[in-house]
Amino acid sequence: MAVMNMVQAINTGLREELARDPQIVLFGEDVGVEGGVFRVTENLQKEFGPKRVFDSPLAESGIVGAAVGMAMNGLRPVVEIQFSGFVYPAMNQIISHVARYRNRSRGVYHMPIVIRMPYGGGVRALEHHSESFESVFAHFPGLKVVIPATPYDAKGLLTSAIRDDDPVIFMEPKKVYRAIKQEVPEKPYEIPLGNARVLTVGDQLTVVAYGAVLREVQRAIKLAKAERPDLAVELIDLRSIFPIDRETVAESVRKTGRLLVVTEGPQTCGVGAELIALVNEEAFLHLEAPPRRLAGFDTVPPLPKGEHHYFHSPERIHHEMLKSLEF
Amino acid sequence: MRYIFKFPDIGEGITEGRILEWLARVGQEVKEGDPLVKMETDKVVADIPSPKKGRIIRLFGQVGEIANVDEALVELDIEGTEEQALAAEAAAVAATGKTTKVEEKGFGVVGEIEDAGEGAFLPATGEGLEEDRKISVRAGKKALATPVARAMARDLGLDINDVNGSGPGGRVMKNDITRFFEENRQSPAPPPVKDPFAAAAAAGIDDNGAGERVTYEDLTQVRKSIAARMVQAKQNAPHLTAMEKVEVSRLVELRRRYREAFEAANDGAARLTYLPFVIKAVCAALAEHPILNGRLEMDKNRFARQNFINIGVAVDSPDGLIVPVIKDADKKPIRALALEIVQLAEKARNRKLTLDEIRGGTFSITNYGSIAGTYGTPIINYPEVAILGIGRIADEPVVAGGEIVPGKVLRISLSADHRIVDGAEAARFLKRVMDLLADPTGLLLV
Amino acid sequence: METKSLSTPSSSSSRYGWMRLEPSEGQILQFLDNEGKVIRQADFPVLAPESVVEAYRFMLLSRVADEKALSWQRQGRLYTFPQNKGQEAAAVGSAYALNKDDWLIPAYRELGAWLKQGVSLTNFYLYWGGNEKGSVFPKGVRVLPPSVPIASQLLHAAGIGFAIQYQGGQEVVIGYVGDGGTSQGDFHEALNFAGVWKAPVIFFCNNNQYAISVPRARQTSSRTIAQKALAYDIPGIQVDGNDFFAVYSATQQAVDRARAGDGPSFIEAITYRLGAHTTADDPSRYRTIEEEQEWAQRDPIRRLRGYLEGKGLWDENKESAAALDAERRCDEAFAEYEAVTDYPVDDVFKYQFADMPPELVQQKVAYEKFLKWKEGR
Repeated sequence: MAVMNMVQAINTGLREELARDPQIVLFGEDVGVEGGVFRVTENLQKEFGPKRVFDSPLAESGIVGAAVGMAMNGLRPVVEIQFSGFVYPAMNQIISHVARYRNRSRGVYHMPIVIRMPYGGGVRALEHHSESFESVFAHFPGLKVVIPATPYDAKGLLTSAIRDDDPVIFMEPKKVYRAIKQEVPEKPYEIPLGNARVLTVGDQLTVVAYGAVLREVQRAIKLAKAERPDLAVELIDLRSIFPIDRETVAESVRKTGRLLVVTEGPQTCGVGAELIALVNEEAFLHLEAPPRRLAGFDTVPPLPKGEHHYFHSPERIHHEMLKSLEF
Repeated sequence: MRYIFKFPDIGEGITEGRILEWLARVGQEVKEGDPLVKMETDKVVADIPSPKKGRIIRLFGQVGEIANVDEALVELDIEGTEEQALAAEAAAVAATGKTTKVEEKGFGVVGEIEDAGEGAFLPATGEGLEEDRKISVRAGKKALATPVARAMARDLGLDINDVNGSGPGGRVMKNDITRFFEENRQSPAPPPVKDPFAAAAAAGIDDNGAGERVTYEDLTQVRKSIAARMVQAKQNAPHLTAMEKVEVSRLVELRRRYREAFEAANDGAARLTYLPFVIKAVCAALAEHPILNGRLEMDKNRFARQNFINIGVAVDSPDGLIVPVIKDADKKPIRALALEIVQLAEKARNRKLTLDEIRGGTFSITNYGSIAGTYGTPIINYPEVAILGIGRIADEPVVAGGEIVPGKVLRISLSADHRIVDGAEAARFLKRVMDLLADPTGLLLV
Repeated sequence: METKSLSTPSSSSSRYGWMRLEPSEGQILQFLDNEGKVIRQADFPVLAPESVVEAYRFMLLSRVADEKALSWQRQGRLYTFPQNKGQEAAAVGSAYALNKDDWLIPAYRELGAWLKQGVSLTNFYLYWGGNEKGSVFPKGVRVLPPSVPIASQLLHAAGIGFAIQYQGGQEVVIGYVGDGGTSQGDFHEALNFAGVWKAPVIFFCNNNQYAISVPRARQTSSRTIAQKALAYDIPGIQVDGNDFFAVYSATQQAVDRARAGDGPSFIEAITYRLGAHTTADDPSRYRTIEEEQEWAQRDPIRRLRGYLEGKGLWDENKESAAALDAERRCDEAFAEYEAVTDYPVDDVFKYQFADMPPELVQQKVAYEKFLKWKEGR
């Protein structure tokens, strides 16, 4: 065991997998020599050489498109898109090919590709560096979408993603890249994809969140408990945006009768809407309050000076929880 | 002013740095941004700039020594007073949401990434290894019910989890709730008296041979509820009803004089009816005759004196009679009462009253006079002990100063629970209300 | 049939002197040496001495504004921003060929060009201080905000050029991109579109040798970036990007070409990013101090200063005065930026659409309710 932050955990996970399987290659912009603009791929080129870990030219579409070709011919590419806000030129390759090749070729070809990208905001960054549209990826059939919230989960989920024979969009919440330290085993372990994790048990309200906002939810629960000491919230880290762990969420709401989904990304057609539909289908008769979501506004995330309006504070989440609890 | 510049946190988990070189001297005048010291951390070597313009008074630490983050690094003599500095700092924090912070070099090309530092860390969860401390979730034992059924139970003041469900999968259906409500509502009342004509009643009207001349409407939930309450009131409380006439031309004149201005001042949100005045008079009388404001608990052999006055105002709703409650009516001025009456009536009409708004009354008023009616025999809103009915204000001849003159006559009818309210007490209460309605200026001295 | 080397674009004309320079043969346009002495007279651009002095002042202002921004950033009063140091001649020299109503489509490292075309320093600080107000440039200034998605702005340049033709205008468009940006699909599409349309566009590549950490040699197999234009039959030239006159001359001729209706041109300005990619980048991880020092010898400001001093147009006193003046202007602009302390809730919502749709109205109302609740606690 070692104490690591998420950057180090992912770095370790990448190293273990590169060591295990020579078919894995890792590339993207600035990931080789520099080790990534967040240092996630630090020293990997030194250890595994420029044939396996290298810098690509500046073209996201090129990165993903070339990865498709590599996957067709036996390699297992793990590519990095420098920020999720830069993935848009690559969307054509992702949607038209990465997500569809298995189906198109009836399994003759498949896409064991992992596309990693830092995502999410609240870090006082420029335009396009705070995006959060995991629900868009989830909406395209053929893609798995994974979002870890802690270093331990990041490594375990990444290992599973790399070993998965299907494409995984691995979105890393940059806000908490270094904010959380955790004991992480220095040997390989897998956390299966498609599993949510219950963090705290409660019977009054189910709150589902993932990524960087999970931490804010925990702070909000603390605030709420200060005023209601007997508050018992069941907090679930969703982790997998597609496929969703339907049973864990449904089971929890059957117990609590109330659901609040907290997400960063914009409200319309977001993950919150999907979970509310799920709960409607699987736990209708147990509902004691309307299942609700606290999502980002349907706006472009403001630049740093306006950021505080957009990204959820613990107070905002607390306020929202009260609406469910006091219905 | 003396200003201590502390070694800032430049990120990446550093808690200390080594002083490589002082770039400024004691006594030197520095501008904001001038480099003060070259600091080595385990990731980068960085020049730390001065955050303020001033003169260097003191340097903390020698070349080669370790400096700790958040400890004094340089002392400056700067312009300004302590208060100014604090205000500026507060403004800066408010604007940016953070105190001045140097961004770590080479940390991530864009943005400011928070670092955990040497703080506490989370334990491993063990997932994927044998020792997974997974928390498993089990759904609890709870009633299955549609949101509609749940709402119904709540309106009736029931805990739906106590109700047995007869629907699919043990689902609690609406008639389960009604049945449960009926079975359980009557504490501490005695069981209903056997109806000697029950057999005949049970025969139904079909046996009359009425046939197609009869159409049936199912009783609504609310109607059934009202019916049950009426029976409960009459069966448990022997009603006395005292009726009186009051000459209210002063009240009529008062209202006439202030009505327009009142309604204008409230943007048409409230009409100035007589009801707020009646409520005020009632509150004054209740304060002096608290027996009519209490609750009788026969099973506990006691009378509960309620030290607050919540006046229920009977309102016509699409479903029937409903009595929303004005809390602490004695503490609210006429204007507030008028506004609240309008709001509650509106909610009643739109079926938007919450349970809270129809509970907790201590005395009720029913105003049938606005439609038609002189005297009435109102039924007490059980478990309250009294109710005041208000009739019409009619133009009638009255005797004043030995002469017959036109007057404005209001008839009021007070029903009270004779188990606890004696006739004399009822009459005294009524008299007080009458006096205040006849001479509203008396309300000023209440 | 006239034997023409494949490398000569068919749309070339001997009117434009610099097209005699062949990038694939390593011919680069340069007028000044590292000290500012004139080493080429042929095609030396005609500019009034006052204009050259003014240009120098712009370059100096850009340098000072940039350095002060770095310092303020280190104090936490500005956010991450990309440093312009070392690229002042490329920016100012190219902008000097433009008229007031020509369009300037930046990437994000052309501060000197911004300033010359009328963008204010306050805009600059507001933008990198994280407020969208910074993108609201003074009226009539035809400059677009910085473009974070690399190279995407070049297509906009092509489209603006098309619109100029469509409306029968005489303006031209200059679109900037870095060496890294020439790997993006949008770059090629933009050149192709502009070429097919013969749009009045000048494509200006600031080849500062690095795309964050990736050196030019590993960005593309093309020996020069200028020759990429050949694929679209657009004339391309390499210039010494740190030589004010070279940049100005090439751009001026490209502008003339465009205004005459002869279509787009491509200029590769060879320069160097003396600072880091952004304030959060650490160049020591991928390049050497020696390389930086070598390029510092070719500092564009130093060279132009040498030229001006050689002509008796500048001296130490003028330099101090100009530097002080630049500092003052920066301080004033920065104070203006710092005076903007509020960010109204309304601003988050009202610029998404012309009319706020119901979703946004609902979300705004819910957020304002929360703010009231929070206040009351």
